[in-house]
Amino acid sequence: MPISLYVHIPFCAARCPYCDFATAPASTPLRDRYLQTLAREIALRGADLGRPRLETVYFGGGTPSLLQPSEVEALRRALDDAFDVRPTEVTLEANPETLDAKRLGAFRTLLGLTRVSLGAQSLEANGLRALARTHDVADVLRSVELVRAAGGLSLNLDLILGWPGQSRDAWRADLERAVRLGPDHLSCYPLTLLHEPEQSVVNWPGSGWPSLARWRSRAAAGQPEDDVVADMYLDAERILAGAGYAHYEIANWARPGHESRHNLVYWRDGDWVGVGLGAHSHLGGTRSWNDGRLATYIERWSAGAPELDSRPGDAAETAILALRLREGLRVTELAARYGAPAADDVRDRLRGLDGAGLLRWRGERVSLTRRGRLLSNEVFVRLV
Amino acid sequence: MRDDIRAFAILAHIDHGKTTLSDRLLDLTGTIPSRQMREQFLDAMELEREKGITIKAHPIRMRYQARDGKTYTLYLIDTPGHVDFSYEVSRSIAACEGAVLLVDATQGIEAQTLANAYLALEHGLEIIPVVNKIDLPNAQVEQTREDLKSAFGFTDAEILTVSAKEGTGVPELLEAVVARVPPPKGSADAVLRGLIFDSKYDSYKGVLAYVRIVEGVVRVGERVLLMQTEKLADALEVGFFSPDLRPVDALEAGEVGYVATGLKTVADCRVGDTLTSGVTPANEPLPGYRPAKPMVFAGFYPSNSDEYPELREALEKLRLNDAAFTYEPESSGALGHGFRCGFLGVLHMEIVQERLEREYDVDLIATAPSVEYRAILMGGEEIAIDNPAALPDPGSILEIREPWVKVTVITPGTFVGNVMELVQNRRGTYIDMSYLDPQRAMLRYEMPLGEVIVDLHDQLKSRSQGYASMDYELSEYRAADLVRLDILVGGQRVDALSMIVHRDKSYKTGLGLVTKLKELIPRQLFEVAIQAAIGGKVISRATVQPLRKNVLAKCYGGDVTRKRKLLEKQKEGKKRLKLVGNVEIPQEAFLAVLRIKDEAASR
Repeated sequence: MPISLYVHIPFCAARCPYCDFATAPASTPLRDRYLQTLAREIALRGADLGRPRLETVYFGGGTPSLLQPSEVEALRRALDDAFDVRPTEVTLEANPETLDAKRLGAFRTLLGLTRVSLGAQSLEANGLRALARTHDVADVLRSVELVRAAGGLSLNLDLILGWPGQSRDAWRADLERAVRLGPDHLSCYPLTLLHEPEQSVVNWPGSGWPSLARWRSRAAAGQPEDDVVADMYLDAERILAGAGYAHYEIANWARPGHESRHNLVYWRDGDWVGVGLGAHSHLGGTRSWNDGRLATYIERWSAGAPELDSRPGDAAETAILALRLREGLRVTELAARYGAPAADDVRDRLRGLDGAGLLRWRGERVSLTRRGRLLSNEVFVRLV
Repeated sequence: MRDDIRAFAILAHIDHGKTTLSDRLLDLTGTIPSRQMREQFLDAMELEREKGITIKAHPIRMRYQARDGKTYTLYLIDTPGHVDFSYEVSRSIAACEGAVLLVDATQGIEAQTLANAYLALEHGLEIIPVVNKIDLPNAQVEQTREDLKSAFGFTDAEILTVSAKEGTGVPELLEAVVARVPPPKGSADAVLRGLIFDSKYDSYKGVLAYVRIVEGVVRVGERVLLMQTEKLADALEVGFFSPDLRPVDALEAGEVGYVATGLKTVADCRVGDTLTSGVTPANEPLPGYRPAKPMVFAGFYPSNSDEYPELREALEKLRLNDAAFTYEPESSGALGHGFRCGFLGVLHMEIVQERLEREYDVDLIATAPSVEYRAILMGGEEIAIDNPAALPDPGSILEIREPWVKVTVITPGTFVGNVMELVQNRRGTYIDMSYLDPQRAMLRYEMPLGEVIVDLHDQLKSRSQGYASMDYELSEYRAADLVRLDILVGGQRVDALSMIVHRDKSYKTGLGLVTKLKELIPRQLFEVAIQAAIGGKVISRATVQPLRKNVLAKCYGGDVTRKRKLLEKQKEGKKRLKLVGNVEIPQEAFLAVLRIKDEAASR
C-alpha cells in the first residue's frame, strides 16, 4: 500500500509571532546535525515500513524553501534509499522572501516538485506589517512569477483573514488581488492567536514566550469582531466561487483537479508517515509524533529508532477530519472501521444538533452547511 | 472567691488595633516567649490572618505580676469585631467583668465602638477607655479623649493612651485592668454553672466548649449537662488556653478555659448555653441565651452537579464547627440540587463560602443573598420565604413583610449629605441625628434589612472616603409593596435569578439585570431572549445574537492531537456553563443579581 510522507524543515529566517508550529532559527548551530538526524530517521522509518511506495510527499515547515541545493540533494539521497519514490504529488512550502530560481530548480529536479504552497498571507503592505511578516508584496509577486515561469507547477497561496486592523473591504481587495494572480489553489485561514507557548518558542534563543504573548495580546485586541470575520469568510466563499474555485475543505479552495492530494490524505484519515521535528504520523490507526525540541529530537533519533509518543486514533477524530471536507462523512464507513457502536455514537451526537442548521444529511452522508463551516467547532466539540 | 482573677474583653471597631494590643499583652506578660511571637498571634485561622479580622473568640490566660507585688491571673477574651458576629460579642462580654474599650486616635469613635460599649454597659462591665495609635503622626489624641468623654461620660483620669504597636502605655493598661476590673463574684461552692461563649470542633477531643465558670467547679471525668440543648456529656478534659490547650484537673468559679465534651457537633454546644453538672444540675440556666439566628440566606450549588455529595459532606463538616450557619437541601430548575444556607450576615456568608472552597475544595455557585420575608396568604396563614423563587403567586398573597433594622451611622459632618442620600435611596427612614463632637455626626435610621445586606457598608465607606461606620440591629417585620422579579432566559424562568424587590425599583432593577446578563451570557447557536418579568408581565427584554463564528485557524494537517486538545479545552469551558433549557449560562451570571440590585439601590 502506498503511503504519504510529510517532511518537516523547521528552519525560519525569522519567527512569525502568530505561528505555533515547531520552528527554529535558520542559523542554529544544530542545523547540520538536524538534517543528518532527519536523514537517519528517514532511513529507519523507511526500513521499518518495508520501503513502501510514496503516493504524495509534502515538505513543510518552518521554511523548507530556504534549504540549500546541497542540503536538498542529501535529502533526496536519504529518501531514495528508504522509500520507493514515485509520487503523484510533491509539495514545497515556500516563503516569498527566500524562494529563488536556483532553489526552486534544485527542488524541482532533485525532488520531482509538482506543487508550491506560497505563504503570501496578505497582498497588502498593511497586512504584512500587521502580521509582522518580513517579506513584502513585491516578494510575493516575484515568487508567483518564478513558479509560473518554471512551468507545470500547481500553485497555492496562503492568505490570512482577520489580522489586526483589517477591514472587510481590505479583505475583499486582498482576495481580488489573489484571484488576479491566478493561483490553482487558495488556503484562507482566520487568524487565531493562541496563548499556549507549546512549540512556538522552545528552539528560539533570547526573548521567549512573554514577548510573544504580549504581541499576541496586542494583536488580538486589534482584530476585527467575530461577526466581521464571519462576513469576510462568506466574502471568500462568494468571490472565490465566482472565480472558479471549489470550496472543497473548510479553509481550502481549488480549481478542479488542483485539490491537495496530500492534505486529502489527512482529512480522509489515510496513512502517512511524518518525519522531522514535531512531525505527526498516522499509521494503521495509531497516531504518533516526534518531540518538538530540536536537541531532544536529535538525541532521540541518534540513539537508534526511539519509542515515539503515540495513542490510538478514534471515530471522533476520523469524523471531525471528514466533516472538514465538502464531501463530508459517511457514517457507515465509520462503522466499518471502528464498529457499529462507535458509529452510532457519532451519529447520535451529530443528530443532537438537528434543527441548528449546522449539518446537512443525505442518507448516511453528513456534511457541514455554510453556517456549519463557520461554526465547525460547535459541531466538533460535541464529538470529543 | 478568687481575688486574683481579672476577666476582660477588648472591644474595638475593626482595625482599631485590638489584635495588636492582644499581641502586646501576650508579649508583656511573658505568655508567649518573644521568639515565638508572630503578628496576629491569636488569629489562627488562615482567613482571619488574610482578612485581618477576628472571626472566632480567642480566650487566653495570662499570669501577671502587678506593681502591688501580687501575681494575678488575667483572662483576655479577644472578640469578633464585625456586626455579623455581634451575638458572639455579647456572649463574650457576658463572660467578663471588665472591658477595654479601644479607640483608634486617627479614626475616633465609630459605630461599632458605640454598639459594643453600650452592650458592655448593659452587662454592668467596668469599662477602661483607651486611646490607641498615639504614635501615628495623624493621631488626634485630644479630640478622641473629648469624644469618649462626651459619648460615655468618662473623666480625663479614666482614659488611658497607648500605642499597642510600640508598647507605649501598655504596662499602665495592665495595671488599670488589675486595679479597676472587679474580681469574679461567683462561689466555687455553689452548683456548677458555666457560660459557653464559643465552641470549636476538634477531631480528637470532640467539641471543645469555651467556658467561663460562673459558679462551682468542673472536674475532669465529670458528667456535664448543656442546659438548652439538653445534651449530656463527659468532661473528657478541662484546661486553660495559654494560648495552647493546657489540661488541668479542674476549673473553678471565675476561671476561663475549655471543656472537651466528646460531642460530635458544635450545634449541640451552643454559644450562650449553660454548662452544669449532669448529676446535680442547676435549677436555672444563666440568663440571656438565645440561639444565633440566620438573617441572610443564599443557595449554594455545586458547579458540577456530580459534586453534590462532596458539597453536602463539606457543609456537614463546616456545620460541626459553626452552629450559626444553617443549611437544608433545595433544588433549582436552573442549578440542580443544592442547599439553602442561612448566615448571620453577608460577611459570614463570604467566610463560609471561602472556607468551603479553600478548606474543602468544593467549587460552588452561590445565588444572591436574600433576607427572610414573610408572606401572609389569603387564608391568613403566614409563611417564611428565604428563597425568592419560592414566593407564591401574587394572587394568593395578602401581604408581604420584610425585616427592618435600626441603623446607626457615625460620620464626619462633611459626609452627612452623602450618607443621607445613600440611606434614603435604600428606603431608609430618618429617626434622628446628633453630634458626638463638632466634627462627628451620629445618624439613626430605620431601613429594610434587604437594603442593608447588599453592600451598604461598602457604599458607605466609598461615599465617606472610608470615614463613616455603621452598625445595625433587627427591629421588626413590616409590610411593603414587594414583588418577585423573575428572569426568563430563552423563554424559561431561571429560578435561581428570581429576586424580591420593592415595586418602585422593579423596572430599574429589571432593566439593569437584563442588560448585565446580555453581557455575561455568551452567544449561542440560537438567538437568546432575556426577559425580566413580574407576575408574568415582561418589563424588560434584551437579545443575545446567535453565534456566527467558531472555527480554528490553520490546523497543521497532521497534528490532529493538538486540534483535539483545543477542542477539549473548549469543551471544558462549556462544562463551566450551566445548561438551562437549551441555553448555556455562565456561573457569574448568578451573582450578577447581586451587583445589579446594588447599583439600582444606590442610584
